Amino acid sequence: MSAPGDASAGDGAARAGLLALIALYCAAPFLWLALAAFDPDARLFLQWPETVSFSNFRRAFVEEDGLLWLLNSLVVCGLATLLVAVLAGFGGYALSRTRARWKRPFLYSIILIRVIPPTALIVPLYKVMLTANLSVNAAVRAVLPSDWVRPAMRMVGFIDGYLGLILLLATLQLPLALWIMKTFFDAIPREFEEAAIMDGAGFGKRLRRVLLPLAMPGLAASGLFAFIACWGDFLLPLTFISSPELRMLPLGLYSAFMRSDQVDYGLLAAIAVVYTLPAILAFALARRLLVQTFSGGLKG
Amino acid sequence: MSARFQRREALRNRALLLPSALLLLVFVIYPAGVAVWTSLTNEAMTGPGALNPRFVGLGNYRRLLADGSFWSSLAVTFWFVLGSAVIGQFVLGLLSAILLQRPFTGRMLLNAIILMPNAVPEVVAAFIWASMLAAGDYGTLNNVVAWFGVEPQRWLTTFPLTMIIVVNTWRGIGFAMILMTSGLAAIPSDLYEAARMDGANRWQRFRRITLPLLVPTVFLYLLVSTVSTIAIFGLIFALTRGGPAGATEIIGIYIYNQSFNSYQLGYGSAVAVVALLISLGVGLLYVRALKVDV
Repeated sequence: MSAPGDASAGDGAARAGLLALIALYCAAPFLWLALAAFDPDARLFLQWPETVSFSNFRRAFVEEDGLLWLLNSLVVCGLATLLVAVLAGFGGYALSRTRARWKRPFLYSIILIRVIPPTALIVPLYKVMLTANLSVNAAVRAVLPSDWVRPAMRMVGFIDGYLGLILLLATLQLPLALWIMKTFFDAIPREFEEAAIMDGAGFGKRLRRVLLPLAMPGLAASGLFAFIACWGDFLLPLTFISSPELRMLPLGLYSAFMRSDQVDYGLLAAIAVVYTLPAILAFALARRLLVQTFSGGLKG
Repeated sequence: MSARFQRREALRNRALLLPSALLLLVFVIYPAGVAVWTSLTNEAMTGPGALNPRFVGLGNYRRLLADGSFWSSLAVTFWFVLGSAVIGQFVLGLLSAILLQRPFTGRMLLNAIILMPNAVPEVVAAFIWASMLAAGDYGTLNNVVAWFGVEPQRWLTTFPLTMIIVVNTWRGIGFAMILMTSGLAAIPSDLYEAARMDGANRWQRFRRITLPLLVPTVFLYLLVSTVSTIAIFGLIFALTRGGPAGATEIIGIYIYNQSFNSYQLGYGSAVAVVALLISLGVGLLYVRALKVDV
């Protein structure tokens, strides 16, 4: 029995048509990327490759610095993600368990911090990073012989160095991660811990035996979101990294596009594919958690 | 639990949160304060303001209110957010969620296709669309519109703002779809049954049941997407750099160009403070909507 106005043949066709249009809009742009990456003679325009080969990828990794960019991106985003997971794990636990007066103001502030666009902070951030860089530089000069200073600064510097970039990337992901972990620990009953306390376990033991195993899904969620955000970020590497040796995938890709001579579109597409695949993988893993995080925030 | 134990736990909680709080203080709160201070000076990277920045009070803000390029950037930001986050992503996301509600073959595939653009980094999205929107007879979009008898266009030159709205809509349909799907799933199905018994048609059921019950989800979604759309940088920087002639210069790009291309740090900071205040305004709505329960 179907009421008037319910699904009919024409109705089904309209639905299918609408869906097909939306799907086409979403999928069509990828076609160029997929074809150009395997076309040794790729152009800016969509064209069917005459020969299919991996030569663009070979060039990206062997002749260009693609491998370096990939490794740099993995190191920076990996370390930033690890830092976020550790800090948010501890911080979220404290936020969940504390009954202190600063709890509510702190939670409000991290929501407000989360909405600040990084572009609005970029100039003062540059000043902060510059000041930090000078102090670190002085410290490094005091300890290391002069020809070690430059390589060391690449690691621990704040301008054109990784330590500053990692700290900054991690900090910008902290509010969301703290929020996720706080909500996550709220759902873990205190009784689990109290049993361990009765057995005389100190905090270290409670952490290893009770909290860490229970917190794993939450840590995975906050880590994944932090990784996705770091991986896609363009503003911070653009502003704070200038050495070619430290360049990461987003800037490597951008510099390949900005070349003054002929742009090599096959190479560009190959680097873009290498840059996109980890992002898609991370997103596929995080997808399920997206709603939980959102509605987790919804319920507080 | 003894009082001593409780005190120790309280101390430990503070210690656990300290590193996060310090980082947020150094890299967010303090820079925000510096932005406010810098906006009250004539600091610049070149010229007299570089050697000896002077306190100019609200001078930068007076200049800003009289500056056509600032207002135009604010307008571009408004249309960009309205066009892509509020209308494009939300309407297409809700539509996809409704169309994909009932199970059928290929549903998961369509789901994955609509979600794919969300995973793409901003800079990659910019290049993909640079190819789609390429000018000349061979551009992909030009080929598509040629079927309908439309002349080839220089899309990013003739319709720059519309095009970045189209590109950003593409990036966000999936996120809206996921959230709307979960919102729809939370509506009890017996409500629909009851309405059907009362003879309500599909449009009436949508108007009277789906929409009102979806409002909280929609509201939160709009806040989150507004904030994240204002923060977009790499996508537009790589695609148009804010051009042509400021037509796609949303406020983040404007701040960047003012500060690092025109070297007007004081003035750039005044714009940054305005962007900060707008975002915080949205953020306060968000805090209220979340009903933070601690």
